[in-house]
Amino acid sequence: MTKPCVLFIDDEEGLLELYRTAFARLDYDVATATGIDSARARLGQGGVDVIVLDIRLGEASGLQLLREVKAAHPKLPIVLCTAYARYQDDFSSWLADAYVVKSSDLTDLKLAVKRCLEASA
Amino acid sequence: MPHQGAPPRRLGRAQRGRATLTALDSGLPLRRHRSSRLLDLLVAVGEALERAVDPEVAAWTVLSALTAGEGLGFNRAFFLLAQDGELRGYLGVGPRSREEAFKVWAELSHRQVRPLALIGTPDATAIGVERQRHARTLVELSLPSPHSCPSWRRAFVAHANHPERCVRHWVEVLDSRALVVIPLLADDGPWGVVLADNFVTAAPVYLGTLEAAESLAHVLRAAVERTSLLRRLREEEQRRVATEHATTLLATARSLTHELVNPLSIAGGTARELAASPPADPSTLVRRLGVIAEAIGRIEEHVARLAEGLAGRANGTVTCEMDLGALAERVVERFRPLAVKRQVRLVCYRPAREVRVRGNPEIGERCVETLLANALTACQGHRGEVQAAVSEEGEWARLQIADNGPPLEPELARNPFSGEMSMRRSSSGLGLASLRALAEAMGGKVDYDQIDAPWVRFALLLRRWS
Repeated sequence: MTKPCVLFIDDEEGLLELYRTAFARLDYDVATATGIDSARARLGQGGVDVIVLDIRLGEASGLQLLREVKAAHPKLPIVLCTAYARYQDDFSSWLADAYVVKSSDLTDLKLAVKRCLEASA
Repeated sequence: MPHQGAPPRRLGRAQRGRATLTALDSGLPLRRHRSSRLLDLLVAVGEALERAVDPEVAAWTVLSALTAGEGLGFNRAFFLLAQDGELRGYLGVGPRSREEAFKVWAELSHRQVRPLALIGTPDATAIGVERQRHARTLVELSLPSPHSCPSWRRAFVAHANHPERCVRHWVEVLDSRALVVIPLLADDGPWGVVLADNFVTAAPVYLGTLEAAESLAHVLRAAVERTSLLRRLREEEQRRVATEHATTLLATARSLTHELVNPLSIAGGTARELAASPPADPSTLVRRLGVIAEAIGRIEEHVARLAEGLAGRANGTVTCEMDLGALAERVVERFRPLAVKRQVRLVCYRPAREVRVRGNPEIGERCVETLLANALTACQGHRGEVQAAVSEEGEWARLQIADNGPPLEPELARNPFSGEMSMRRSSSGLGLASLRALAEAMGGKVDYDQIDAPWVRFALLLRRWS
């Protein structure tokens, strides 16, 4: 049985390293991208089961990528993971399957990823 | 502020002689004020009103001219303004009773106060007190439906037996034997009314006085309309600035949250992972500890910046009108000796006319000092040039500091105001982050480009004063 693949998109290399460590330990296949272009490239390769997406990607907006991915892959679940809770009020974020506020405790994020995968199975 | 309402000056014999004439059209004694004196009065009132920015001050100025002894000399005067479907008492000037009149006039005489001389320096607090003194009378004079008043065209003197009910109401409230009524009309009915009388001295009202009072009332109308409009514009401007500040604060909150939560998540999350699953490899442990240390360092830097920004706001960033060109020139001159010492050419371009902006001179100078210091440092050793230029761009005014020193490092050039990196110019990125915070505290913003190589341009943009 192949491991589910989670693509983490965040401009913080430190966070990506944390996700790699934490989710690999949970037996996920972890892919990472620090920007929109590298995320597109990774998605183009296929095999991604769920995306964890930051809203602020340097000068670019994760919400733009959210719309783009949902248009191309409507069934691919996306978890928005951002520092700012009030983005939940932004209707652009409603396309996402889950919304998690960044924290040093990854319990909520792990749970959101698990639920998204279960829902899409 | 002393009350007005001093008795009119006695006239000379020749003038008393002319006073026996009667105007055919008004039934009033035809004693005209000396034209030069009236002209002086109108000029003095006009000059005072030009400076008035508040409708209450404008009303007080004209009522003072009506009641001052060296003005038209009425004992008291009131202004009623049509507002929200009512003709409301707006302001009154003068004594409320005979006893008060004698007391106040004696005091004015003793202190040699000339009420008309005070109109050039209105005291808003004293005007407020005057309004309160007459508050009850002003309420009683008010009419709930001004449209029931006939549309009189000219001023007149009314008595207790006047045919119109609203006029009889005013005469009764003021217990006036002869009440001057000066209607001010709008297209669809009364705009306001000025009332005046000599309830203490019972001095007759002459045609010339009536005409002069009518002129002053019309000046009052123009001034109240202008100052009311100005007040509305000012309130709208304040609302707009408040909205912009709120938007800026929201953006700052988002930005700060992002900048703080990310390193917090990295540090805390990595520490938790280390605790949950300690790596067997010491080099992995050291690397992850390094990640934590780096994240904590970023947090410290952000907190310091936040504290600095908040302190700047707590200083009370009071903005006012200021000349950005003069400010630029002032700071440039301050830096000129340093530029000479570093062999950097320092020039300042500014329009000949003033560039009025909303800002805080002290904070504005700090911003320009930061930019100039960075630019001079950049050019040090290159015999370069630093240009300060002030220009206007629609609702904004731009103060730009350009230098032809080395370009910014690509990483820093992505967002030089983030404060996350040090400048390549021996200065600190923190300074530019503070610059942005200071500019925003003044309702302004900062800008940067190096599209026109080799020039590196930083700019402070402030809203033009309107």
